[in-house]
Amino acid sequence: MFSNYLTTALRNLLRQKSYTLINLAGLSVGIASFLLIALYVQHEYGFDKHLSKRDNLFRVVEIQNEPGVGEQHVAITMGPLAGSLKADYPQVVDAVRFMPGFDIQVVSYGEKFFMERSLYYVDPSVIDMFDIHFLAGDPKTALMEPMSVVLSEKTAIKYFGSVNNVTGKSMKLGKRSFLITGIMEEQPQNTHMFFNILVSVSSVENLPDFEWMKGWGSNSLITYIQLDRPSSQEPIERAFPDFLKKHVFSQEEGWEYLEMYLQPMNEVYLNSQHIKFQSVSASGDINLVIAFSVIAILILLVACVNYINISIARSVKRSREVGIRKVLGANRLSLIYQFINESFLLTLLATIIAVGMVELTLPEMNKLLATDFRLDFRDNYLFNAGLFALLIVISLASGSYPAFYLSRLQPVHILKGGKSAKGNSNGYLSKGLVVFQFIISVGLMFALLVIHDQVKFMQKKDLGISYRDAVFLPFGDDESGEHFEPLKAELLKNPEIKSVSGSSFINGVSGSQGPVFVDDSAKTKLTVRFGYVDYDFFEAMGVSFASGRNFDRKIASDKGAAVIINQAAARKLGWDNPVGKKFKPIMGADTTTKTEVIGVINDYHYYSMRSLIEPAVYIMAPDRFRGLVIGYYPRADQQKVLKFIEDKWRSYFPGTPFQPVLASEYAAGSYKNDQKLFSLFVYFTIISGLLSVLGLFGLTSLLIEQKTKIIGIRRVLGGPVWIITARLIRDYMILVLLAGLISLPVSYYLLDQQLAQFAYRIHISAFHMILSVVLLSAIAFLTIVFKAYRAAKANPVEALKYE
Amino acid sequence: MIRTVNLTKIFRTDEVETTALNKVSFEIKKGEFVAIMGPSGCGKSTLLNILGLLDNPSEGEYFFLNNEVSRFSEKQRANSRKQNIGFVFQNFNLIDELNVYENVELPLIYLGMSTAERKKRVESALEQMQIAHRRKHFPLQLSGGQQQRVAVARAVVATPHLILADEPTGNLDSAHGEEVMNLLASLNQGGTTIIMVTHSQRDAEYAQRIIRLFDGQIINENIKSGHADIPVI
Repeated sequence: MFSNYLTTALRNLLRQKSYTLINLAGLSVGIASFLLIALYVQHEYGFDKHLSKRDNLFRVVEIQNEPGVGEQHVAITMGPLAGSLKADYPQVVDAVRFMPGFDIQVVSYGEKFFMERSLYYVDPSVIDMFDIHFLAGDPKTALMEPMSVVLSEKTAIKYFGSVNNVTGKSMKLGKRSFLITGIMEEQPQNTHMFFNILVSVSSVENLPDFEWMKGWGSNSLITYIQLDRPSSQEPIERAFPDFLKKHVFSQEEGWEYLEMYLQPMNEVYLNSQHIKFQSVSASGDINLVIAFSVIAILILLVACVNYINISIARSVKRSREVGIRKVLGANRLSLIYQFINESFLLTLLATIIAVGMVELTLPEMNKLLATDFRLDFRDNYLFNAGLFALLIVISLASGSYPAFYLSRLQPVHILKGGKSAKGNSNGYLSKGLVVFQFIISVGLMFALLVIHDQVKFMQKKDLGISYRDAVFLPFGDDESGEHFEPLKAELLKNPEIKSVSGSSFINGVSGSQGPVFVDDSAKTKLTVRFGYVDYDFFEAMGVSFASGRNFDRKIASDKGAAVIINQAAARKLGWDNPVGKKFKPIMGADTTTKTEVIGVINDYHYYSMRSLIEPAVYIMAPDRFRGLVIGYYPRADQQKVLKFIEDKWRSYFPGTPFQPVLASEYAAGSYKNDQKLFSLFVYFTIISGLLSVLGLFGLTSLLIEQKTKIIGIRRVLGGPVWIITARLIRDYMILVLLAGLISLPVSYYLLDQQLAQFAYRIHISAFHMILSVVLLSAIAFLTIVFKAYRAAKANPVEALKYE
Repeated sequence: MIRTVNLTKIFRTDEVETTALNKVSFEIKKGEFVAIMGPSGCGKSTLLNILGLLDNPSEGEYFFLNNEVSRFSEKQRANSRKQNIGFVFQNFNLIDELNVYENVELPLIYLGMSTAERKKRVESALEQMQIAHRRKHFPLQLSGGQQQRVAVARAVVATPHLILADEPTGNLDSAHGEEVMNLLASLNQGGTTIIMVTHSQRDAEYAQRIIRLFDGQIINENIKSGHADIPVI
């Protein structure tokens, strides 16, 4: 019996080539898109899964509310927090602190030196909590002693050529020598906290520079705790206010507001968009994962709807076969089986084609997203199971209509004279499904227009700073002062080079936040970002002044006793004329005296447009510079200039790797993620649109085929071709408009929420809505007008003879 | 073999009620060849559908092989149908996607017969209908007469007790029509009961008895006595 079904199915597919093609194309493209997105989603959900204790692991997050920046969630905490949590609560089994190795830039062994970015000071408990496996050394003691360092396998090979006999050797981290006490297995890349060099935190804890680590006033470390069970989270969080009262508020002045909560490890990667100062190596966005999952399902639905709609339209022809089979003794069950079988066959074919498509497009997508997704049928059980489930679900979803509807038909009604199986209810179902598809298409089109405008807005918006024709060179651990001036003079000899200045970073700020106090009776506090910049930085980067002046070489007090603030700071302090106002000495910023505001710069974006421009205070402090900002003329050949700089660099900083950061790349970097996901979104929107159009085309062809008789009668009665065509088209236009009415409010709500993530955003206008409906209508119109016109134009005699 | 008592069929739509059959009673014995005649819309096909267990009557009784089947469920009808009744239609009703062999094989598949047994039976039916050489052809590649021979082969392949033919020559030219009628006649001679709906007086000649219907009622039951002056309505 099965072979009979198979033969019928195959021959049916072959006979109706164009519809088979439409179905197959639609389903396979739909499945392929779904699979591509599924790979992305699976990747996003796969983060930190290597941590066996992850259900019991939590990251401590603080909620601060400081003047100047307002409420903010931060992942950095105080030095004593981890120990106190463990001491105060029996449910806290273990705790670990991570501190990025800010003070270590260059790691070296002999002649080999590299800038290392994934280096952390940690407590020894990291080994057990983060499941670190050792290839050499003793995990129990490796991070106990000061000046101990554990390297990852790859890192060890990078410096020593092998992992053998590496432990016991010493190497230089920054200026100091460390003993290698262990080699750990390489950490997976899909973790929010990637590290390849771990240094015992005791190495710095007792240094005078790190005195702050012992107090409750400074936040610089990330604290993870391990609970005895996940449900302990709640009681501990409830105890936090008392904990803070006991440890923080009693000892430390200056906290305006502080709360803490625990973030489950499983949520850190995807649910941390609202958290600042994370020092993570990777972070995802749950909203994007959801958005793409929804798109994947929508595309699949559109593809299934196509199949169902074409099945409904074709059921007229298939009903005859059903009648015959029933007369010959087929029961309902065997017919249901047959039709499901048929859709299974088609879906299977489509899945095979889809897998081929995925293989073909994966390299492109990997290039776009900078990922390494692979179709892995051998080890990815979840994916295989999902694929199989998908196959079944699609087969059932698409095959169920013909299966259950057609098998219910009575042979009496269909055999004689080939009466159609089409009732009124079908018309509604088909139309309902078409409306459903257009709801999706209109929504996606609308989203596309809005997101496109937002991306364009971000690209075009004046950042207030010119990230062009400039490059930043990090000093590494070299004492900058020594070689800074001679190198600068040397560089400026090149006529292509416009300016050379020291700075915290290419964007002028150092990244950290801290308080400044106004020199008034109330000691008004403002939390700001600090920037350490040279005399020439603002001019080189095209940052303009709103009032006052720049640092001046001729005025000695500008070094240390003068500050420049941005407009945001002035606004927050309510200063209309900030020049001349004074701050108390700025803690940790090398100002020993009161500082006077000498200038106000216009606000510029030092971070991405997702975040607001926070108040910033700029200080001329050469020993805080982290590198050089070198500006060159637009006419300059960038490659040549870079080569020139590199040559000079190597002669002055022989022990520091040459790792230039191009300003343009930095600027692009903050929007790269938005942009690549936007392009991905564009692709999938186009696909879903094409699928809808394809389905509409197939459906209209079939429906018009069935309407030839009605059209024929109208023509015989003298109906002009254009009225008949218009009538056919009008039916569909109404459906598109209806879909728009349903879709737009929902999409508006969802999109507005997405846009709310951006501190600088566009607003959705009626234009976006109207345009999306107009575009969709135009596409639908073009899809059907040709078919409709041809049908209306056909010789009515032919049409009438047909029945 | 067949006995109907006051068989009535009423079709209802929202506004119209049509009585297609009105208290039709008759009997057909095993081995008979009966023609049902009458003008379009007289209820011939409705009667055939009920006799063929494709439809239930609205009222009345229908005894088929000594069972009262008028209230059978669809499932019961399907079961009884596939074992006992073969159908031949005016428009052949072959499945276009299946070839000759597969079309004829279909009823045996639904009877759950083994492949070997099916092959034997199909081949024999094809031989009998002289269409074996076309076994690999598809319906659309055959002439009308050949298609109808396939349909007859399909009707007899399960050796049913009864064959119902609904205007079997309606779509055929006279030569092919005669061919098909001869096949039916020879099946009848082999012992199969045949009930045939027809418009054609010539085809009706092959039957032993003619039941004439008009407006859903039997107006004339005529046992053929060899001469041709049968009144035509």
